[in-house]
Amino acid sequence: MEFVLQTIANGLLAGALYGLVALGLGLLMGVMKFLNIAHGTFIILGGYLSFWLFNLWGIDPFLSIPLVMIAMFLIGLVFYRLALSPLLKLPDVGMRIDTSMLITFGLIWVLDNAMTMLWTPNVRTILTSYTGETFRFFGARFSFTGLCGVGIAVLVGLALYSVLSRTYFGKHLRAATQDAEAASLCGVNVQRVYLISTGIAIALAGVAGAVIVSSYSISASGGIGWLLIAFVVMVLAGEGNINAIIPAGLVYGLLEAGSVLIFGVPYRQAIALLVFVLVLMFKPQGLFAKRE
Amino acid sequence: MLQISNIDVYYGDIQALWDVSLRIGDGEIVAVLGSNGAGKSTVMKSISGLLKVRAGHIDFGNIRLDGLPAHHIVELGISMVPEGRRIFPQMSVLENLEVGASTNAARKTRQNTLEWIYEFFTPLKLRAKQKAGTLSGGEQQMLAIGRALMSVPKVLLIDEMSLGLSPIVVQELSGVIQGINKLRKLAVLLVEQDIELALSMASRGYIMENGRIVDQGDAKLMLCNPRIKETYLGIGAEEKAG
Ligand SMILES: Nc1ncnc2c1ncn2[C@@H]1O[C@H](COP(=O)(O)OP(=O)(O)OP(=O)(O)O)[C@@H](O)[C@H]1O
Ligand SMILES: [Mg+2]
Repeated sequence: MEFVLQTIANGLLAGALYGLVALGLGLLMGVMKFLNIAHGTFIILGGYLSFWLFNLWGIDPFLSIPLVMIAMFLIGLVFYRLALSPLLKLPDVGMRIDTSMLITFGLIWVLDNAMTMLWTPNVRTILTSYTGETFRFFGARFSFTGLCGVGIAVLVGLALYSVLSRTYFGKHLRAATQDAEAASLCGVNVQRVYLISTGIAIALAGVAGAVIVSSYSISASGGIGWLLIAFVVMVLAGEGNINAIIPAGLVYGLLEAGSVLIFGVPYRQAIALLVFVLVLMFKPQGLFAKRE
Repeated sequence: MLQISNIDVYYGDIQALWDVSLRIGDGEIVAVLGSNGAGKSTVMKSISGLLKVRAGHIDFGNIRLDGLPAHHIVELGISMVPEGRRIFPQMSVLENLEVGASTNAARKTRQNTLEWIYEFFTPLKLRAKQKAGTLSGGEQQMLAIGRALMSVPKVLLIDEMSLGLSPIVVQELSGVIQGINKLRKLAVLLVEQDIELALSMASRGYIMENGRIVDQGDAKLMLCNPRIKETYLGIGAEEKAG
């Protein structure tokens, strides 16, 4: 029994993080049809920034999240201007997805190497005074950093939800997602919405990186693994269904924990890919797609 | 007040408009007529900034419009109801209207504008919380017009208002357009397949063929002109039968 509870706990802790990891990817894909293959690499970059702030200035990794977000937001603006905005001239959306994949694939090499030069190829993690502390609820153990990660994932998910549903910017963004041309006819500056959305997407990658470096560890070339997870979660949520991403992450985390319990750790990645293929085969619109 | 002067417009390398000139005066209703593919929507999209003008120019008062981005043109007071309505189906009726009031000036008067638009289009008020995609065709057209009005335009461009709607709904909508035109001095450019409807609403009309303006004049005279009736009402009647 305790074993099952612990499995569920592990699944929830990992799942919240998986949702957080997928938010930025889902936002760029949902709003602009840019598939950012370098998303995992941006996550790692965020992790390094957090690592740096801790090592150089001793700023707590959870308290430094706003700083990491601001820095990553600015990086996102540059990313949009240099890499993404030229793609808007392409005649159709399919070409936009393809070309953004190629460009961001190339960007992985640039960022990987830059990060290796800056921070060496060593695996990095943040060790605070509370790292490794655990709590017990109903017989299951939760790590303190893991719980902080869940809290941040939920907070960020809710914040994104209220920005999208309540603010003018959120309404503009949703309008531009559904029909960019019609939105521009309403006076929406679609390019500006895209610019800011990219900034937010990369800032979200940064938050995920900060959480990862304080609960797990990062290395300069570890982005691809996180990209894979983000991709599976995005497909589970259903393309363009940004509000379903955190729940989809939790579903995926529980699935993974369950499969580790049944089949053992070596099959973790295989299960991820299997879920991905099955969802694409039987429910390509995602698990959380609303019935029309 | 809105003056199109000798514009040429292309889709890629394919020319769609040749030397088109057109004028809309203050508070005037003007109709643009022509068969499918004549270039009516292209004229609209050129005014609203969705298409680039290769030659000639478009002026609004003393401001040059061609070359400005679409959202900027809305800010200047020109708003378009696009062909096919193009509402945001996943957003509520109210949210659609709110997005219509995106410019700074429109945001300030939003609540006021919303109230008088609800007065003209009561179904929108009743269905404010409903997803726009679930509205009937007529209600969607109301929403598209309401959304365009939310930016408090001086000129309203309406592309194919009557398409796919029942005669009763068309009557109602055209009544509202004429009402707003009178009450708020709103100038309107109508593109229509339904020639009788358009000419009965408008004071002047233009006729397009193959990307050129081939005829223009007083709407009432055009309505009585047997040649225009023969050429265009004939086509309209055939299509309705088929
Ligand atoms: N996106 C496009 N790419 C290429 N050519 C286009 C495009 N849109 C329109 N055209 C061409 O431009 C010409 C004018 O089209 P336009 O849509 O302005 O006609 P219209 O008068 O509005 O017709 P309808 O009554 O069918 O709406 C047509 O020959 C059409 O094939
Ligand atoms: Mg047309």
